[in-house]
Amino acid sequence: MSVRVLQLKALAGLSVLELYRRKDLIVVFVLSAVILLPLALFSPFGLSGASRYVNELALLLVWLFSAVIGLGVSVRLFPPEFESRTIYPMLAKPVARGTVLAGKYLGALAASVSALAVFYLAFGLLVGLRQGVWFPMILLQAFVLHVGFMVVVTALGLTGSLFLTPSANLTVCGLLIVGMLFFGQRLPALAAAQPLPGKCALTVLHWIGPHMEFFDLRQRVVHDWPALGWGVCAAVLAYAAVYAAVCLALARCVFDKKRF
Amino acid sequence: MDVVRLDGVSKAFGAVRAVDGLSLSIRQGEVLGFLGTNGAGKTTTIKMLLGFFRPDSGRLTVWNGDPCEPATRRMIGYMPETAYYYPYLNVRELLAFYGGLCGMPKPLVRTRSDELVERVGLAGAGSRLLRTYSKGMLQRAGIAQALLHDPSLLILDEPFTGLDPLARIQLRDLILEQKKLGKTVFFSSHELSEAELICDRVAILKQGALVWSGTVHDVAGDGQQNLERIFLKMLGDVARKEAP
Repeated sequence: MSVRVLQLKALAGLSVLELYRRKDLIVVFVLSAVILLPLALFSPFGLSGASRYVNELALLLVWLFSAVIGLGVSVRLFPPEFESRTIYPMLAKPVARGTVLAGKYLGALAASVSALAVFYLAFGLLVGLRQGVWFPMILLQAFVLHVGFMVVVTALGLTGSLFLTPSANLTVCGLLIVGMLFFGQRLPALAAAQPLPGKCALTVLHWIGPHMEFFDLRQRVVHDWPALGWGVCAAVLAYAAVYAAVCLALARCVFDKKRF
Repeated sequence: MDVVRLDGVSKAFGAVRAVDGLSLSIRQGEVLGFLGTNGAGKTTTIKMLLGFFRPDSGRLTVWNGDPCEPATRRMIGYMPETAYYYPYLNVRELLAFYGGLCGMPKPLVRTRSDELVERVGLAGAGSRLLRTYSKGMLQRAGIAQALLHDPSLLILDEPFTGLDPLARIQLRDLILEQKKLGKTVFFSSHELSEAELICDRVAILKQGALVWSGTVHDVAGDGQQNLERIFLKMLGDVARKEAP
């Protein structure tokens, strides 16, 4: 195994181990229970509309909780290292700053995606038990694109963690992510209806903001619509990869210049 | 052979000149004590030696290499002044993490960890989380991580701070043991008595500039002089005011 791989493994493993040791995993299971509760308790008596409503609610919770976990893990990647000065012995080792950044990012992503997998597994099992449909293709695609969402969320959180305190970073990234998820698609229309300064701001946001709505297949899952073509999924995942790469490149510039 | 070489190194933070035209070299197998009052520029010099940032002017090399390059740092073991490590890890996990960062294969890390945990006297606390460690125990964990990849240059920032007398003796023995193995040791300290006991050479820094450098033999050779007297003389009024 190459030195770089060993270094990435050590850095990523530390983030995952932290998730376990800080009891963050308990939060994941509590959140899963919150997601499952409406599904388990609500009895739609065969009314398909009501089932869909409950599924939609559960998926909305999956989205919100996954964003909370992705941001919760990534915004804490660097500030505790700076505060407790563990960054000094880390950077004194023969490891490049770019590797530190990449390792931390991979760790946050692995931790977030493992929590997401628990959510989807719970959702898929409950839907299967109640409706007899076991893990349809569209649910698999929803999970895959949701991983793309986590790729972007953790990259944003990590980049912010080099500039901002965890609470400020959580607020800024949270507003951006939720705002883009719910209003990203409508930004051009909103921009067109604004006077010039607002129009410019919304147009800029449309072009540089992360289009989280690309990753959202909730409606397709809830209404049992046909699965997407895998080419479309690949294109959306490529968008996530490029967006995350740009964020990480920006983070690299900041981290390289940062004086400790 | 010079392991560390600083030629006219300067570093300023805004209007404050933290290090001012510092020239110094450390030979292989030498133990050098880097002394000075608070704010003299010791930690800034150490940070430049570790490649955390570059000097504004002058030239600084470690084993003829640039410490900003990871390959150069492979030969450096560093123990920071404030030993805070990941509280949710035990010492073996901590060493496994740092071993990974050094690119060491797992079996080697395990062997070295076992040796070092035993050597620094943490064998009985090997499975306890670091958040339950005392300051002295954290310092020992710090020494273990600094020695993990068997570096040829040890840089220790205030290593004796917060240690009880027994731990001081153990650390002193450990530094002398490294010297016997041919390793070079560079440490900053306020502890003049410790410096006098283990250093081959001492460098005194005042307001970022080197004001005195000499061997411990130079100090011992003059019946009226000891390191404390030299230190006070070199630092003048500033040191006298700060001395208890």
